[in-house]
Amino acid sequence: MMLLFGTIPDKNLTMTYGQVRQEGDYLFANGQRFSRTQGTGAMISAALAITNYFKLEAPHVLVAGDIGDGKGTRDIYKYLIEHIVELSPEVLTMHYSQPIMSLMKKFCEAVKGGANRPFLIADAGAMYAAKGAGLAGEFDIFTPDPSEIAFLADPLATHPAYISHHLFDCDASKIPQQIIEAYLLKSAARMLIVKGKRDYIAQGGEILATINEPDVPTLEPIGGTGDTITGLVSALVYAGMTPKEAAVFACRTNRMAGKLVNPTPATKVKDIIDMFPRVCKEYYCAWSGICYMDSSTTAPNTPQI
Amino acid sequence: MNKTAFAGDGIVIFKEVAQAMKGEKTVRAAGYEVKLIAPPPEMRMGCDLALEINLVEQAGIERLFKERNVPYVQVTPLTKGVSRMCDVVKVTDFGKWVMVKAGNMKLSFEKESGLIVNISGGGCPDIPYLNAEMVDKPLASAPHPNKLGYTLCATMLQRAYEEALDIFNGGSRP
Repeated sequence: MMLLFGTIPDKNLTMTYGQVRQEGDYLFANGQRFSRTQGTGAMISAALAITNYFKLEAPHVLVAGDIGDGKGTRDIYKYLIEHIVELSPEVLTMHYSQPIMSLMKKFCEAVKGGANRPFLIADAGAMYAAKGAGLAGEFDIFTPDPSEIAFLADPLATHPAYISHHLFDCDASKIPQQIIEAYLLKSAARMLIVKGKRDYIAQGGEILATINEPDVPTLEPIGGTGDTITGLVSALVYAGMTPKEAAVFACRTNRMAGKLVNPTPATKVKDIIDMFPRVCKEYYCAWSGICYMDSSTTAPNTPQI
Repeated sequence: MNKTAFAGDGIVIFKEVAQAMKGEKTVRAAGYEVKLIAPPPEMRMGCDLALEINLVEQAGIERLFKERNVPYVQVTPLTKGVSRMCDVVKVTDFGKWVMVKAGNMKLSFEKESGLIVNISGGGCPDIPYLNAEMVDKPLASAPHPNKLGYTLCATMLQRAYEEALDIFNGGSRP
């Protein structure tokens, strides 16, 4: 089972746990409806596109409404801490949430109680909390953007708004050095996917791959285009790819979907997510030689992931 | 499971002990995790009581103090050597649109109409909420991030918003 954890910007959404499905612009779980635009909703929606393509079990979600006061965050952490052992997900992705370090510490203690450790991915507030609490090494993948890799490389910062100026001022060419510094500080997960004009995939301080094609500069202003990479890599790991393969595919999928949409800065992320099934059908076989066939695709049919 | 004691990364400095105690009561009643502490020597303002907070909740806590008339001196990171928030603003021209980046937050608007078309960056829960409340509204009438937001991400978005509004109103338009 894959579990996706995060807050939804709806103060009326009570804590919800259940398997997710999509209808139009909304996601549904356990009778509750919430938006799939931006943030956790975009991340879930991206993951769902991949599990649908590979005909895998749809993700389970643990979400709650939170508009920034932290109430929903506390609810989902409490549930996760109390139930992580019995839920025993194979992949757990933690996303938008108030970065409360004490809750992250409790979670990391609780997850050790299970027989099977989940593959742990963090982005957004959950990544801030893990770094701030000194628990980055408990995670398998972080997916920072350029501001956030500078934050991970700053030994003093507990939030990206307070990173040192020399780190903030730097240009993209400094990202490889910041990756090394983040690993030296033990502020990085086992793997980093740094999302930006050029995407970097790194492990143990070493850059394993970079992806810069297709180059679609207008993806940068579109809110949620980093969230989708987090959802994509989560589902691709769940589908059985190695972390490196999943990371490369996630970045390429996002870029290709962006290119197919031909976006402007006014494009919404849901338009890019809606392009993921087409990218899977048209490119995955050629990218990997690992192909999947159903009645609606013309791709070769073996082997399956 | 062991109980983990609260450990924040920000500190609120007060002039008087009574104000610190009122501050603690006020934020605790609003559901925030806080702790009364003795401030580090370099932060002492003549009073020996301060409030340890989750720094990310700075915006919400400061707004609460203003609403409840709790006077305070400043909010600052607890970590020595980190004292100022990022104030670097970058502007990117996309032809019909402009993207303004402040810290980790980006706001894009249409030059002609001033319509906010996208908000990007950040990882705190109020950012998707602010996105829903602000996008597709004109800069001049959109709600301000510092009115609706609670976190440091919202504080940075406020900076991007102010810069964008200035550009739209004829400031340093690219």
